[in-house]
Amino acid sequence: MKLSSIRYLTKEGVRNIWANRLMSLASIGVLVACMVIMGLAVLISENVNVAIGNLEEQNVVMVYMKDYNWALYGKEDTEDTSSTTSDTTSATPEETKKEEAEKADENGIKPSDYIIHDEKEAKALCAEIQKLDNIASVVYVSSEEGLESVKESMLEGQEEYFSFLDDENPMSCAAKVTMKDMARFDETIKQIKKLSGVERIVSQSDLASTINAIKQGVGVAGFWIIAILMIISLVIVSNTIRVTMYNRKLEISIMKAVGATDAFVRIPFIVEGMIIGLISAVISEVLLYFCYRVATETIIGTLGTTDIVKYGDMALILFALFAGIGIIAGVLGSAIMIGKYLKREGSEFAAI
Amino acid sequence: MENVQQFTAVKPIIEFRGVSKTYQTGTHALEDVNIKINNGEFVFVVGSSGAGKSTFMKLIMREEKANTGKIVVNGFDLTSMRRKDVPMLRRTMGIVFQDFRLIPNMTVFDNVAFAMHVVGADGRDIRKEVSKALAKVGLGHKARALPNQLSGGEQQRVGLARALVNSPDLIIADEPTGNVDPNMSYEIVSLLTEINKRGTTILMVTHDHNLVRDFHHRVIMLDSGKIIADNVGGDI
Repeated sequence: MKLSSIRYLTKEGVRNIWANRLMSLASIGVLVACMVIMGLAVLISENVNVAIGNLEEQNVVMVYMKDYNWALYGKEDTEDTSSTTSDTTSATPEETKKEEAEKADENGIKPSDYIIHDEKEAKALCAEIQKLDNIASVVYVSSEEGLESVKESMLEGQEEYFSFLDDENPMSCAAKVTMKDMARFDETIKQIKKLSGVERIVSQSDLASTINAIKQGVGVAGFWIIAILMIISLVIVSNTIRVTMYNRKLEISIMKAVGATDAFVRIPFIVEGMIIGLISAVISEVLLYFCYRVATETIIGTLGTTDIVKYGDMALILFALFAGIGIIAGVLGSAIMIGKYLKREGSEFAAI
Repeated sequence: MENVQQFTAVKPIIEFRGVSKTYQTGTHALEDVNIKINNGEFVFVVGSSGAGKSTFMKLIMREEKANTGKIVVNGFDLTSMRRKDVPMLRRTMGIVFQDFRLIPNMTVFDNVAFAMHVVGADGRDIRKEVSKALAKVGLGHKARALPNQLSGGEQQRVGLARALVNSPDLIIADEPTGNVDPNMSYEIVSLLTEINKRGTTILMVTHDHNLVRDFHHRVIMLDSGKIIADNVGGDI
């Protein structure tokens, strides 16, 4: 198709919008409403994701290690007695000899009684945990730091009562782990448990499953809202195009009589649909900006939270979404509607 | 274009060979029609309502397809033609409608230019050719008028200018005088005769026997889907 034809057809598309301005205005209105609701759904889901992200960060998993303190205070509580027995029975005479050769300290603990002997080995285990693919961060927590944080969480009186712990710190050293994806929580816990030197894992699995449920809920709701509104947009644009086509059936019949190709008949309608979609996208973007600003100011004012997604960060994505929906609705709507007109000939137009 | 078959023997512009058309409703519109219209002829098609005139014209414009037989128009074999090639056929002909079919919110100039835009002509050619076509039909001074500011006869002359503007080999006029007064009817047929003298083939459907009698052209008469007379010289 020649450039002059494309120019002419684009001009025709714009002329159509003006000629059917009431209908175009109605479509733009409905499309804007759909797009604003869609935009709100996206912004709400984005904010929920940020809030979940904060929750996820708080959902720290503590991985305690098999260190000296564990051997001294906690081994009997956590170790499976049967496995200890089997260990002893399965030990070769050489190993037994070696074990006997080891010197037990004043507390009766031998180096072979625990796996993590020093900070270096503890940090090596932290590094191993970090290597697992779903791990966001690993921070080494020494037994002293661990005790400190326990004391911090105590009330004043309790802290004094437990002051004897300063001399007999029962805390094992640990790794403070956060995960990237809470949906893979159980799988990651299993992977950590398999590592040598890991004694036990303390986590809030309930919180993890709640986070997952919220995430999935928001995702599914967002998908359906967008899908339904997209269908509505498509129907609206199709309807406008149908009315325009009806009004222009005389032109279409003449076009066909003088030898217009299907593309030539189709393009002005597609241009019309696209322009309606684009105008709606621009109006929606501006409207949504103001709605969101008012909403966020109110939320910040009442809740005091500042952890809210900035509109500027989402502006481009939202415009792309709106423009995409507008253009797709315009092109598809026109294409669907014009198909039946293109098959008609001459006097058949009068019967429409 | 694979569907285009050139007929080199006699070169008629329109040829029907054993053409029959029956609509889905069961109406037999045309039965075993055989006819040749040569390049440069002026032909009146006459017949009472339901005789098959409209079907005859629709088959030439490829608005309908024949059930049997072969139709060749301007070198295009319409029986095997694909839908996407139909616009190319129509660009070789100009069509004049009984109801004028002018776009009401376009000026006279734009209505005529419309036919050139459709075939992808550029702006300069459009300005030149539209002015020439309007001058031919005597409406050069009304280029900026809207159709509703013109009389019926003037509107039909705009329709004629639109049919002429792409310099077609064939003009099909479906009762072009049906909505105009008798004086204007003579004027329109005179115009068509002028155009015909310059080499364009004219095929005109009419009910007006006076016109047929006064303009001595070939007359094809249809009745119940059959050609019952084909007279050169205007005798019915």
